[in-house]
Amino acid sequence: MADVRYYDIRCVRGEITLVDIDNGVIESAGTSFFDKAVIRVLGLKGWGILTRDHVDIDSKRELDALVEAAARLAAVTEDRLDLADAPRGVLPVPPLGEDPRDIDLEEKTRLLAGIEAAARVPGVANTRARYTEGIDAVRFLDSSGNEFSYEAVRSGFSVLAIASRNGVMQMGSERDHIITGFNLRDKQDLGRKAGEVAVSLLDAKLAKGGAKRAVLDPELAGVFTHEAVGHASEGDLVREGASVLAGRIGERIGCEGLVIVDDPTLHEFGFIPVDAEGVAVQRTEIIRDGILSSYLHNRETLAAVGNGIPGHARAEHGAPPIVRMSNTFIENADATYDEILSECKDGILLIGSRGGQVDPGRGVFQFNAEYGYLVEGGETTDMVRDVSLSGEILSTLHNIALIGNDRKMSPGYCGKGGQSVPVSDGAPHLLLEGATIGGRGI
Amino acid sequence: MNGEDLIERVLREGERRADEVEVFYARGESVSTEIKKGILGTAEESEAWGMAIRTVKDERIGFSSTGDPDRWKECLDAALASGRIATPQQWGGFPKPAGMTSTASSSDGDLIVAVEDAARMVGDLLSGAAQHPVEVVGGGANLARSYLMVANTSGVLYGMDRTVAAVSLEAIREQSTGYEFDASPFLADIDARSVGEQAASLAARSLGGRDIETGRYDIVLSPVAAASILGQVLLPALSGRNVRAGRSFLAEKLGEQVFDERLSIYDDPFVPGLGSTTWDAEGVPTRRLVFVEQGVLRQFAYDLKTGYRYGEGSTGSAVRSGSEGPGIGFHNLFVDGPRMKEPGDERAVWIHDVVGAHTANPFSGDFSVEIANPFWMEGGELTEPIRMAMFAGNVFEMLREIGGFGKDARRVGRLTIPSIRLNNQQIIGK
Repeated sequence: MADVRYYDIRCVRGEITLVDIDNGVIESAGTSFFDKAVIRVLGLKGWGILTRDHVDIDSKRELDALVEAAARLAAVTEDRLDLADAPRGVLPVPPLGEDPRDIDLEEKTRLLAGIEAAARVPGVANTRARYTEGIDAVRFLDSSGNEFSYEAVRSGFSVLAIASRNGVMQMGSERDHIITGFNLRDKQDLGRKAGEVAVSLLDAKLAKGGAKRAVLDPELAGVFTHEAVGHASEGDLVREGASVLAGRIGERIGCEGLVIVDDPTLHEFGFIPVDAEGVAVQRTEIIRDGILSSYLHNRETLAAVGNGIPGHARAEHGAPPIVRMSNTFIENADATYDEILSECKDGILLIGSRGGQVDPGRGVFQFNAEYGYLVEGGETTDMVRDVSLSGEILSTLHNIALIGNDRKMSPGYCGKGGQSVPVSDGAPHLLLEGATIGGRGI
Repeated sequence: MNGEDLIERVLREGERRADEVEVFYARGESVSTEIKKGILGTAEESEAWGMAIRTVKDERIGFSSTGDPDRWKECLDAALASGRIATPQQWGGFPKPAGMTSTASSSDGDLIVAVEDAARMVGDLLSGAAQHPVEVVGGGANLARSYLMVANTSGVLYGMDRTVAAVSLEAIREQSTGYEFDASPFLADIDARSVGEQAASLAARSLGGRDIETGRYDIVLSPVAAASILGQVLLPALSGRNVRAGRSFLAEKLGEQVFDERLSIYDDPFVPGLGSTTWDAEGVPTRRLVFVEQGVLRQFAYDLKTGYRYGEGSTGSAVRSGSEGPGIGFHNLFVDGPRMKEPGDERAVWIHDVVGAHTANPFSGDFSVEIANPFWMEGGELTEPIRMAMFAGNVFEMLREIGGFGKDARRVGRLTIPSIRLNNQQIIGK
């Protein structure tokens, strides 16, 4: 097969356990099974990729046939790409505190029901909780002789409460996902918090739109980091010309002292022991002291773009690897929360996240807080609801006026190219000048 | 053994251990070609196989699924184990075979799942985009064919073919971006060249937008923007499960004038579309469902489980996605009303798409999103681009008074929707 410059195969076999409790009713609780393989061949120009269910990676014959079929696909491609050499190595997977496989479905369901029941505080009309557990057994081999396998175990839940009064409905939600063991014990507090937030939002005001000073809590500031900087630093978007950060390495794009990092080696929810191309993972400083210093890369985008660190290829099972974030955060500085509030004087404090989205080519992002408080004279006053924030990547980081000292990471899932992967993001409290707040209050 | 033989075997084995058994089976193949750097970068081909088993024993429903035919026994065990934990509920049995006389097609006999055809569609996309001075930064073409079956121990055994042809293109000029897409079961519906041209035109024409002051404006949501916002908020509110659980703004409003009297919303599984079918994902015969008729709320959507639980009966609205169990959804949903020449002659802010629709509050209907490719519209024509702004509102309130519908209804996934004019809406400038 002269036209095959490289191939690899990545198989993920595993189980997903879901428990869904809705208003005290166990709607479903059970386990499903999958076994997916992705075979990639780099032909004379680009990739030919095959996706299959249930491939026997140990069968030389089966593998040869798949590589040949993928090579035929690669033959229709036109965009010539090369793979950079990159360091190899697999980190140990952190040990599990309590292995979720040792706990039966009845107990998981009972614990989740406890969290769901805790959300049912007075004023709450509906509660729902969902447990998600994923066991992935990953095997990889490539034509350069690299081979590895590892197992990833994820366990976590989300809980939603809806409060209702005179036709007005408001929600509170909490979630927690980890990679270090079973994660349903002693979590009723989070259920109660979801319920309490939902009820207090019934009396919250609508925020008034416009430019103002905003304090972001660590969870929301993490989403800000992910949307405003993380995506635009992904090497594939940079290569395609779809990122405003292309060609700006060495440029000042944020305030002094600002350090933004993506670190797949941290034992947070976005941890991976090795990337989906078999490349060793390492801490990557995207922004160092306000200066754009590294893109996130896989092997092909490193070869094409340079100026960055590989080991950021990730894939959902049954999908080809693309450049992704893992654990993305702003490093601590030294402002205390009280200093940040008092410096804000008059503005808005935004808490929690309902997610966000970015158009990295245009350099515009949006994200949404779960709730917030008006800040008047450096003190928080009235509660507000349904507040979004939008901004421009190239100017917004200059508007960070203060960086706190209390970084916290929050787990979540990130979607790109139709694939969803576990990530975490975080930051300390931040003070933003001139943030565009989208609210419909008057 | 991975087709009807396997289904038969699961049903017979399951029947010995449960009161009822259902098997849903899907296999499919697809090819896709992806654009990189303005030319064809990656070619992908995928084959998938999946089976989902539901068991009912003592009015408890169990579920499991697998992508590996050799693990069918494990999957059946897992379904039974899951059923032992589920809360028992009112249950009237899986459907019996029905004499269905209607027809519905979401399969194109002429569609061949071949990489060469997908590559040709990429060529058409690129030649369309070349009409404007832009860089193409992404997009591609996808061709897929699948076969779905549902069978149960009451004697149902239905199967159908489905096809999909889809294209998309993403273009940029300086910091101005444009994205367009289309998907249909029928290859002949897809005009790849025009999709490429439209995406490039959006990027080229949006360049050099001017700022807009914060204030209240008349706006026109394009079908894409309208689908994004309504899809996040309005559609979940029509699900019988959300209604009964107290998660729908529309609960207890049946028969009421909830929206503008020009607005109708219905699901028509019999017209050609991505979701066309005569039976739903549980083997229940589908029917045309009118949810909102001239602004009056007429009914909600139910699947078997929710229907039995609340004594409503299934409306044939079960759908499945991925390896999850059936849930309530829509087949071919239409948002409709009397059309105007253009959605109003008077000056308005035209919004092609929104950024962050998924952050809308699905229960209260409140949202605030960034707008993408906004233009001033005058006399029904797009004139000057607007640089950037946010749009904040409430879906349930804004649909009470609609300015009008455009003649430009289009497919956005399983939804067909025209542009919608809304007067006096809140825009937040920069």
